[in-house]
Amino acid sequence: MLAQIQTHHRILINGKPLPVRQSRLIELNSVTKAYEVAKSKFMALKGIDMRVDEGEFVAVVGKSGSGKSTLINVITGIDSPTSGEVYVASTPVHTLNQEQLAVWRGKKIGIVFQFFQLLPTLTVAENVVLPMDFCNVFSPRERRKRAIALLEKVGIAEQADKLPAALSGGQQQRAAIARALANDPPLIVADEPTGNLDSQTSEAVIQLFANLAAEGKTVVMVTHERDLSRYFTRSILLSDGVIVQGEESQNGH
Amino acid sequence: MDISPRWKKLWRDLLVARGRMGMMVLAIAVSIFGVGTILSAYTILTREISRNYLGTNPASAFIELDRVDDTVINTVRQQPGIADAEATSWVVARVKVKPDQWMTLLLFVVKDFNATRIDKFLPESGQWPAPQNTIMLEREALKLIKANIGDLLTVQTPNGPSQSIKISGTVHDPGLAPAWQEQMVYGYITPATLTWLGESDTLHILKVVVKDQPLDVNRIDATVGNLAKTLKNQGYTVGEIRIPPPDMHPHQGQMNAIMLLLLSFSLMALILSAILTATMISGLLAQQIRQIGIMKAIGARSSQITGQYLVLIFILGFMAVWIGLPLGMAAGRGLAGMVAQLLNFTLYSQDVPVWVSLVLLLMGILVPLLVALIPIRRTTRITVREILNDYGTSRESFGSRGFDGWLSKIRGVDNTLILALRNTFRRRGRLLLTLGLLAAAGGMFMTGINVKSGWERFLADGVASRHYDLEIRLNSPQPEKVVLSTIAGVPGVQKVESWNLLPAAVYRPDGLDIVRTYPDGGHGSLMLRSAPPESQMLESPVLGGRWLQTGDADVVVLNQLAARFFPNVSVGDTIRLMVNGRTHSYQVAGLVQQIMTPAAAYVTPTTFGDALEDTNPSTNCVRIVMNAHDAQTINAVTGEIGRALATKDIRVKAFIPNTLLEGASDAHIYVFIFALIFMAVIMAVVGALGLMSSMGTSVIERTREFGVMRAVGAKSRTVLRNVISEGIFISLMSWFIAVVVSIPPTLVVNNLIGGLFSGIPLTLIVSPMSLGVWLLIILVGSIAASAYPAWQASRLTIRETLAYV
Repeated sequence: MLAQIQTHHRILINGKPLPVRQSRLIELNSVTKAYEVAKSKFMALKGIDMRVDEGEFVAVVGKSGSGKSTLINVITGIDSPTSGEVYVASTPVHTLNQEQLAVWRGKKIGIVFQFFQLLPTLTVAENVVLPMDFCNVFSPRERRKRAIALLEKVGIAEQADKLPAALSGGQQQRAAIARALANDPPLIVADEPTGNLDSQTSEAVIQLFANLAAEGKTVVMVTHERDLSRYFTRSILLSDGVIVQGEESQNGH
Repeated sequence: MDISPRWKKLWRDLLVARGRMGMMVLAIAVSIFGVGTILSAYTILTREISRNYLGTNPASAFIELDRVDDTVINTVRQQPGIADAEATSWVVARVKVKPDQWMTLLLFVVKDFNATRIDKFLPESGQWPAPQNTIMLEREALKLIKANIGDLLTVQTPNGPSQSIKISGTVHDPGLAPAWQEQMVYGYITPATLTWLGESDTLHILKVVVKDQPLDVNRIDATVGNLAKTLKNQGYTVGEIRIPPPDMHPHQGQMNAIMLLLLSFSLMALILSAILTATMISGLLAQQIRQIGIMKAIGARSSQITGQYLVLIFILGFMAVWIGLPLGMAAGRGLAGMVAQLLNFTLYSQDVPVWVSLVLLLMGILVPLLVALIPIRRTTRITVREILNDYGTSRESFGSRGFDGWLSKIRGVDNTLILALRNTFRRRGRLLLTLGLLAAAGGMFMTGINVKSGWERFLADGVASRHYDLEIRLNSPQPEKVVLSTIAGVPGVQKVESWNLLPAAVYRPDGLDIVRTYPDGGHGSLMLRSAPPESQMLESPVLGGRWLQTGDADVVVLNQLAARFFPNVSVGDTIRLMVNGRTHSYQVAGLVQQIMTPAAAYVTPTTFGDALEDTNPSTNCVRIVMNAHDAQTINAVTGEIGRALATKDIRVKAFIPNTLLEGASDAHIYVFIFALIFMAVIMAVVGALGLMSSMGTSVIERTREFGVMRAVGAKSRTVLRNVISEGIFISLMSWFIAVVVSIPPTLVVNNLIGGLFSGIPLTLIVSPMSLGVWLLIILVGSIAASAYPAWQASRLTIRETLAYV
């Protein structure tokens, strides 16, 4: 399966294979993150170096408080590093301001949350259209068509015109994944996307992410699901803000 | 049509939170209604009052001459700077309104009812023009004496016998202050009728209109002064010259001042409701903060989210204007109608100018937008991480300040109440706002009532300072001994003193006697009065210097209105007055304060006699103390005095009982107080909405906490009581603030009203009734306002509250 993914993601652009440097999607250099907690400093990340290539399906694992969420927040620009550099698709994320981050994030990253976080007053399809609307991607006519196609892809096209509250947890998470794909971002980041789902549904959702990775998307996911490790191309184990396992892509380029 | 999802979201959020949105719309609508009412009434009234007044072609000046015949008119009309001239006469007569009760009747002598060009008046009902030997009354005067067209009136002119005259019709004279305010009857007769009533038909008042209707009174003064000199040189005797404020109805200044004050209060209500909108918006944002975080996480820029909420406010503001503006304009027309009736002018048009609608539209939309921009910007600028990590404990949470520490040490009270008390102080910004709204409403309400009490005290003080029951003004000076002994001989009279009076004018180098007053003579006149120094009949607080003393020669004491005629006058200065066409110099010995008394300069009887050039002491005015002071006795004794004087052929111009003062100017002040309370009600509605929304927001924010409370065993009732107690705490606090807040506006309004009527502020009274009534209103209101959110909170199941995101 790994071989399959790798061949798959070595796409030819203008007939030439992508240079190795460009296939590196995420690069973190000596990233630290400190929080002020009750007047003392707490180091959530202590000098993280990390690389993720295109098409990888990376799981970030570790105990509660090990820095998993902080790590992916730094990657998505939701949080800014105290020091160090963060590059995502060659963009120096650590240099962008909030407004630049919002636009960049909308186009380059699809985020999937643990609690789905669909907007309750919008239908499923409208939730999917929303990122296209905010980032002004695709023509207004195409947007709905695209949303339906994405919902088909995640298997809930028939729910398109319902409000999120009418959907089951698994369906809501599929809708959230469809929303993450709305602007066709190269990177999908998910924070415990299966944390609120039963095991059967969880597996289906993970399979969905695996399919995306197989199609060339890069997926980084915080998870507790040890049983599903067979789907991941790599697991990064964090402990006390330090990567203790899986720092570099094992199949390095 | 494809509407993008963010606008769909906006619309559906609006529908979901329609209760809250409704409150916002209501708050803005109510204040737009308030501002709209006052602004509409103000624009209608100022336009119509001047249309009514200018429609009469008001005279620039009135010159009293020994005779005004056609020759004079023709000469005057050819003088430089004069646009037109006309002859008339005024006769101060009296009319019997009840047995033994007379009222002043001001007769306007009209040569030709159909050809009046200056100070025109309009036919209202009955016959026009007035047939020979009949009288037409001003329409308000007819109401004042409760007479009907066709009735016979008993009228007596200064030199004529008492006669019956038929009322042939009514006129509307928009140039005069309403009869009921002046307690004076206005009548219109022909010169022939005047002769029939026993007076000469020689007209002696020259009305002139200065060219270009200048608004500068000094220009009129100069032109009219030149004209008077020319007339003097031609051998005419020039008496008093009256120059009223140009182009201003007698009560226009009063009306403008009051309207502007109301306008400023209503604008305050608008600002408060805009701030309320802002807090409601920040409450909404608090509720949607997670959604904002999600939107930003999936690519929304702060500006896009800001735009979304601003459009929301725009829609709310627009709806509010749509509701509030037409209602405000309707109410404004109603108010204008009421005031127009009070001031006796006709509203020819009730059009509210377009700019009023535009201004209100802008205010209703822009003001909330500007104010809401602050919380919107603050919220949309929070980073995604801060939002997603927000579980309700921010740096501003309870326990971080000294006051909270003190609150957390309170012991020994019911636990629910302690919790409610502490909750009250959790969101300080919102608490301050709610307090501000409620305190402003309370302050306004109390101001209304305080001013009413102050006014009543003012009138009572005015009455109390006069220790006499009746003043009698005679047509002409009569031998003092005869007058005093005649009156003293009437049973029921305890004491009688001579308090003579003469019109006076400020000295001018050209020797002209120019006063700034209207034809009714009441506004802006100055009197020289003789006062027995040892008299107990008048009690006037001395502001500086001293009261008159026996033996004072050429010494004067001025009341506060008289002092206004001499800018910067102080005790020891010498002033010059024109009395009876001669100049007199007096040294100012003192300044006194007198309530509801026209401008008066008091001198000793000896000094007054000198001014009259009178060797045998004579009198034209007396004040009388009776044995009993009830209205019935006063009336009866007054009748007896009248008959006694008649036997001596002494003619009375007016009987002025002290009680007249109370009724005279009472009613019109209540329009103003009513308007103040109307504003207070508007503010109270905004305040109640503020409290309700504030309670609603804090309940939403603490839903999880209520879940926890109930999970550890609190009953629904406990939650209910907790929230309602918080509402009561807030309202009690606002009450205390309101008491303090009501003082400055009360002082301002007291100054304004007192200034308009007497040149001194009303006494400051904090009415216990206003305190009590407001406390009741605010308690009931706060319970009502917090009951709904409390009930909602107590109804949620534990599972729902804990799952609340």
